[in-house]
Amino acid sequence: MKRYDLITPEGTRDLLFEECKARREVENKLTGLFSGLGYSEVVTPGIEFYDVFSGSSRNFMQENLYKMTDSKGRLIVMRPDSTIPIARLVATRLKDAQLPLRLFYSQSVYQNNALLKGKTDENVMAGIELIGGRNSKRADYEVLCTAVTALSEFDRENFRLELGHIGYFKELVAKLDVDEGVREDIRMLISTKNYPALNDLLGEVGDNAVTNALKQLPALFGGAEVFDRAEKIYTDDKISRILKDLREEYERLSALGFEGKISVDLGIVSHTAYYTGIVFRGYLSEIGQTVLKGGRYDGLIGEFGQDCTAVGFGINVGAVARHLSRIGEKSELKTPDAIVYGDKGYVVEAISYAQKLVSAGSCVENSLFDTFEETLDYAKDRGIKKVIRVADDITETSVG
Amino acid sequence: MNTKPLRIALTKGRLEKDTVGLLEKIGFDCTAVREKGRKLILPIKDANAEVVLAKANDVITYVEHGVCDLGVVGKDTIMEMQGKFFEMVDLGFGRCKFALAVKKGNDFYSGFGVKTVATKYPNITRRFFEAKGMDVEIIKIEGSVELAPLLELADGIVDIVETGTTLKENGLEVYEDVCPISARLIVNTVSLKLRQKEIEELVGLIVKNL
Repeated sequence: MKRYDLITPEGTRDLLFEECKARREVENKLTGLFSGLGYSEVVTPGIEFYDVFSGSSRNFMQENLYKMTDSKGRLIVMRPDSTIPIARLVATRLKDAQLPLRLFYSQSVYQNNALLKGKTDENVMAGIELIGGRNSKRADYEVLCTAVTALSEFDRENFRLELGHIGYFKELVAKLDVDEGVREDIRMLISTKNYPALNDLLGEVGDNAVTNALKQLPALFGGAEVFDRAEKIYTDDKISRILKDLREEYERLSALGFEGKISVDLGIVSHTAYYTGIVFRGYLSEIGQTVLKGGRYDGLIGEFGQDCTAVGFGINVGAVARHLSRIGEKSELKTPDAIVYGDKGYVVEAISYAQKLVSAGSCVENSLFDTFEETLDYAKDRGIKKVIRVADDITETSVG
Repeated sequence: MNTKPLRIALTKGRLEKDTVGLLEKIGFDCTAVREKGRKLILPIKDANAEVVLAKANDVITYVEHGVCDLGVVGKDTIMEMQGKFFEMVDLGFGRCKFALAVKKGNDFYSGFGVKTVATKYPNITRRFFEAKGMDVEIIKIEGSVELAPLLELADGIVDIVETGTTLKENGLEVYEDVCPISARLIVNTVSLKLRQKEIEELVGLIVKNL
């Protein structure tokens, strides 16, 4: 007996009507924005070789990937991310393309989450990757502006873009004389803002200016005052340059009319092997998860054999759409403006008449009934306001 | 920007009482929480906040999804459940430890056989032995874990130990400590950023009154 033929796997669901519309609208807004800024679309395969995602900097837990094998027994995964396949693509088919390359995508990614936690395993992500560009600061600024614009399109008042720089943490932690495991523990504790455990661990490492700065790192978030605080805590040439650059980005973004919507968190320290420069995140109020994630990853494309700088971000389209449809309408079947019925022998005429109306901009359904009377009854039931009968001449009947 | 009350999820039971004590020490009026009856969402007067009472695992779920902004939950639950949130304050109460316990006098690591461990916390147990590079068979027990070695189902147990009285009375003893536990204040990752001022104020007050 089949047990699973009526349900979808955990973490996935069917989308109906308004949900699709909401998702499509979010996608359209984003892809419209991206292509308007000169980005070209790419689509990468839904399945890829496991090797693509198993490199050192690519932080995917084996247990979180959906895996299968191909006909030759090679390990395949359902793509958990779009940036890495695009890096592969840039390093191979696009290796001779002129830089900078502006690419965008809008496609599903898959992640095998823990069961029964209300998480989705299939998420549509839309984003951009800006590859190359002689001046990285200009590229960062362009991508950040695009991120802010994208967020503000969805909720002008209640969004937040948060900037950080992975270099701040990397510079500090590199000065510690500890092994890789301890560095990773420090990173973990900073990323979860676990002050007590971080203090204990750094207390064991030693009491000096660097450990002191790391202890305060998780608290370095907020507005422009963060830069002043950070400068007082610890500086050297590299760190003060990082802070200066980041402050500049912060001020330039605020100057676009987004004062109060831009914030800073120097404690963003996830994927340290992957990111090499600025990192940023976007939030919409009422959504308890990060909806936008991005940063500079100058090393990744090089891992595929073609050294190249890059910066980009991705937006969780599904999360944004759910948010918008929650504040918007309920899910309902679409009701067309009219239904067209062709008498016996007028099927061709009826459907071409319907098509004519459609190209003129109305939403028209084609009747599948054998008689005009049945069509009329159906229109009444469905709330369709107009029935158009096509025979020798065309007659319109109003319903309701 | 937000006038909605901050929502704090509390683990029902002992942690709830300790937390309410702490909130009252800060100076908040927790009468509604003390005289809760059967209500599950309770306002805290004179603070723009409300308390939600939940089971430990659910505190994490609610905070992770952002339907509660903050939560008070034991480190044991955090370690077992894991998840994405900020773990900002060690509240210091609810102190106890995870330990590996065996029948008195037994040497857990002796011999070459694969050991069987009974526990309510399979994830913590798995990680503990994984870190040692040791293959053990883990059996999840829902009730009194101490029974498992007595019934010869398991060679040892990994469980929360407070005073050790239950172990002693059943002829078991702590063989090795796994890690200490205490109550933690956790915060949703987005809430902290979007309501930074309110949350930092509250966290500041909490830390000051520990």
